[in-house]
Amino acid sequence: MTRTTPALATLLAATTLLSAPAALAEITLGAVIPLSGSNATPGEDQRRGIEIAVKEINAAGGVLGEPLKVIVEDSAGKPQTAIDAARKLVTVDEVPLVIGSYSSGITLPMGEYLVQEGIPHLNPASTSGLVRNIGDSSFSMVGLDNVSTEFAAKEVIANGWKNVAVLAVNNAFGQGVAQEFQKHLEAMGGGVKTSVLFTGGQPSYRRELQQLEATDPDAYVFTAYGTDAALIMQESFELGLQEDAPWYSILITMMNKDTAPEFKQGLSGMDVGYLGAGGEGYAATYEADYGETFLSAYGGYAHDAVLFAAKAIEKAGSTDKQALLTAIRALGDEGFTGATGEIKLDANGQRMSQPYLKFKVEGNDLVQMD
Amino acid sequence: MIQFLIDTIIRALDLALIAVALSGVYSLIKFPNVALVQYAVVGAFVGMLLQQAGLPLVLALPVSAIFVGLVAVIFNVLLFERLLTEGSAIALIGSLALSMILSAVFLLAFGPAAYRFDLAVAPAMRVLGARITVHQLSTLAITVAALGGFAAILFFTRLGREMRATATNKVLASASGIDTRRVINATVFLSGVLAALGGMTLAMRGSVSIDLGTQMLLPVFAAAILGGLGNALGAIAGALVISAAETFVTNTNFGVLTGTDFLFLPASYAQTASFALLVGFLLLRPSGLFTSEVSRV
Amino acid sequence: MSEFLIHVAAVSCLYGILALALNLQMGFSGLVNFGLIALFGCGTYGAAFAHLWGWPPLAGLALGLIFAALMGLFFARLGARMSEDYWGIATLSLAEIMRLVFTNEQALAGGAQGVSGLPVSFAGLAGQGAGLSRLALYAALLAAAFVLCQRITRSGFGMALKMMREEPQLARALGYDLGRMRAIVMVISSLMAAVAGFLYAHYLSFVGPEQLMSHETFLIWSMVIIGGIANNWGVVAGAFLMQFALAYVPFVKDWLDMPSDFVAATRLVIVGGGILAFLIWRPKGLFPERIGGSHG
Repeated sequence: MTRTTPALATLLAATTLLSAPAALAEITLGAVIPLSGSNATPGEDQRRGIEIAVKEINAAGGVLGEPLKVIVEDSAGKPQTAIDAARKLVTVDEVPLVIGSYSSGITLPMGEYLVQEGIPHLNPASTSGLVRNIGDSSFSMVGLDNVSTEFAAKEVIANGWKNVAVLAVNNAFGQGVAQEFQKHLEAMGGGVKTSVLFTGGQPSYRRELQQLEATDPDAYVFTAYGTDAALIMQESFELGLQEDAPWYSILITMMNKDTAPEFKQGLSGMDVGYLGAGGEGYAATYEADYGETFLSAYGGYAHDAVLFAAKAIEKAGSTDKQALLTAIRALGDEGFTGATGEIKLDANGQRMSQPYLKFKVEGNDLVQMD
Repeated sequence: MIQFLIDTIIRALDLALIAVALSGVYSLIKFPNVALVQYAVVGAFVGMLLQQAGLPLVLALPVSAIFVGLVAVIFNVLLFERLLTEGSAIALIGSLALSMILSAVFLLAFGPAAYRFDLAVAPAMRVLGARITVHQLSTLAITVAALGGFAAILFFTRLGREMRATATNKVLASASGIDTRRVINATVFLSGVLAALGGMTLAMRGSVSIDLGTQMLLPVFAAAILGGLGNALGAIAGALVISAAETFVTNTNFGVLTGTDFLFLPASYAQTASFALLVGFLLLRPSGLFTSEVSRV
Repeated sequence: MSEFLIHVAAVSCLYGILALALNLQMGFSGLVNFGLIALFGCGTYGAAFAHLWGWPPLAGLALGLIFAALMGLFFARLGARMSEDYWGIATLSLAEIMRLVFTNEQALAGGAQGVSGLPVSFAGLAGQGAGLSRLALYAALLAAAFVLCQRITRSGFGMALKMMREEPQLARALGYDLGRMRAIVMVISSLMAAVAGFLYAHYLSFVGPEQLMSHETFLIWSMVIIGGIANNWGVVAGAFLMQFALAYVPFVKDWLDMPSDFVAATRLVIVGGGILAFLIWRPKGLFPERIGGSHG
């Protein structure tokens, strides 16, 4: 008896030690981003943004005095995988808040799942107007596409292109961009000759391109992700479409890195601003840590989502969901400055003002225009 | 119109080699080997790796095709000979399972991104107002040569005679001294070669990603079934019919119907056209469009 | 019981129902259906349409059942005209047509985007109550489906189905109407698949065309082949085995610190490799069909 008791006690202590640290010694958040699939490049950019934010916070003493940790899961670019990943974060890792994802097609169903579970959700990248309706406990760190397409439509009109053909990826993001862009362009006196939605991951997009060409537009306006966009640009070059009319890319940083320079000469476009006032430190750390410039425009927003969440937890004084939600709303009202500028949220929890930039391609690089 | 013809022929090139391979093997072992579409992807990836390793394209193509032919024989000996003793449906399911495993291998080895051969890309030429690219022409030549070679083997060689004899009546062929197992494996080898060339020529015209096999599966099947499964050369006609249907669906401006200037169906409805054609066709003529020449030998 | 365990068990129950449905078709009746996921999709999209149109969820169930019965009948009609491998390809094609249409028609249930925000069943219950209630409901329905399948397969009708599978000419000669039998089997199993789909939609809260990919059908095939073709106990065991094996792949990834493509690749290997290994070394599955049995 006397011999077994200490042994039991040790065993008990050992089990407590083994199971407890995750809950006690650190504050854990979750993130679901595309680490594989056709958005792996911007997904990696998001992961880097998160990594830098965690380092910054821990260097400054952590959150509520504890070190911060963000568990990053892969969405694989599929709604089902993303929901399963979010479910694992919520039920197994018991995180108080989830950041994610990249494309609106994933963010919408995942956000709706999180809202039903009552877990606060921060959207770091998706710009579809539908994101507004996800629910009460969902917040966006990025401006939505009703604003971005208006910016793009103004650009297109200013370039003297009256009638354009639109090519967009077939998901919530592409559907939204095509509709909103057409609305804005028509309101400004222009017109969309045809809108073609394509399914990603195909071996060739000749058919879609020939459909666009048949309408003989003043310009081709498109929005596509990573490797799909690279193939579209290659084939449009091969088919001679780039000689006939100029190409304009909405959210151009999504596709620039993956496309070879010879297929994108003369391409121009727009995207969300990378950096706001006060973001220079982030840019410097990024280049020092990874030895290259940003992979996409979205790493900064993921970075800011982590900072925003950490600040809200500090404000709430705990990771209790209700307290955290109240703190997020309060922080959104008073405004918060991150690498992408000031983040203020409207009554729906969406970012109010959003900087946009004009770009043109020179060689392999994007050059900012004013 | 010219553009329609050219688009149809180019699409038929995508399908023809793999469909002929599928039909040719079916004539001997009586089950549709789904894994053939994945062999095409293996061919494309291996060809690209060889090219990256410094082999010129003219060598990379045949080396990769022979490699895939051998892989096909290995899978046939290790897997399908055994499964076929349980029946053709079991072998069909087995070939689906093999396709999944190959997909997993591609995913781990290459990831989800699209790859292409290191080829100079030049703007298309204009021929009678229609566009043709250099690579479309070169792959057309490769495809015609490969199909011609296969037909020559089938009709003018001893192996071809034995293949046709085995397809017509395996027991009789075996009784008259033909080593049917050798004949079958020779055919499987040729099917692997054709499929690999199919995959590589596809990749030369566009790009290849790990999903290519899955995307090609049903159009290729539709072409092979339409041509009469087992009738290798009928599959070429099947491929042309399927391509014409697909091209009609995507190239036609349906704007007239709705009173708008332009209305195109989404390009992925091309596949729907071929599947619908296939299902409707199976309903009407369960044995295929052309009577099998092989069976009349 | 951890919530994650409840989650996996609940999904396993739904797949158990699907495995029973496929077993009724291919196991007992020899109908090689590669388009089962389309029948499941009738259930998920029934739920989605009801949600979009503001109908009560149960109306969505009715809608899904009607779609599924019609599609099952159509599949059966096709089967009357072609041999089993052709029918397999035809059903696969039909399922793909359905997926492509739902992918490209935005007006129909959101196109590629799908429909999200469906109410999750029992979401109002606190703590683990919701998860446990769902698990209880799915388990009860699985049990009901199991009893139904056992009754069918042990009846005289079940005997006739097996004869259709083994000796279709003989069955026809004995006066059985094969077309009618095929239709009955297809309708019953389609309804089962649609019920599973409806529940799945209200579990995941999301319906989209990606759920109709053909490899989902092959996952169900692997459950039947591994569990034991034409053995109802076996296929349910197969469903649980496969779901648990797949659910724990991400943890293995974390543990071995593998790249993120590892999860998708390993799942493909488990399904494809499982099918192949069993077809080669144990074609009758873990629980072989009982020959003879207690037929009246």
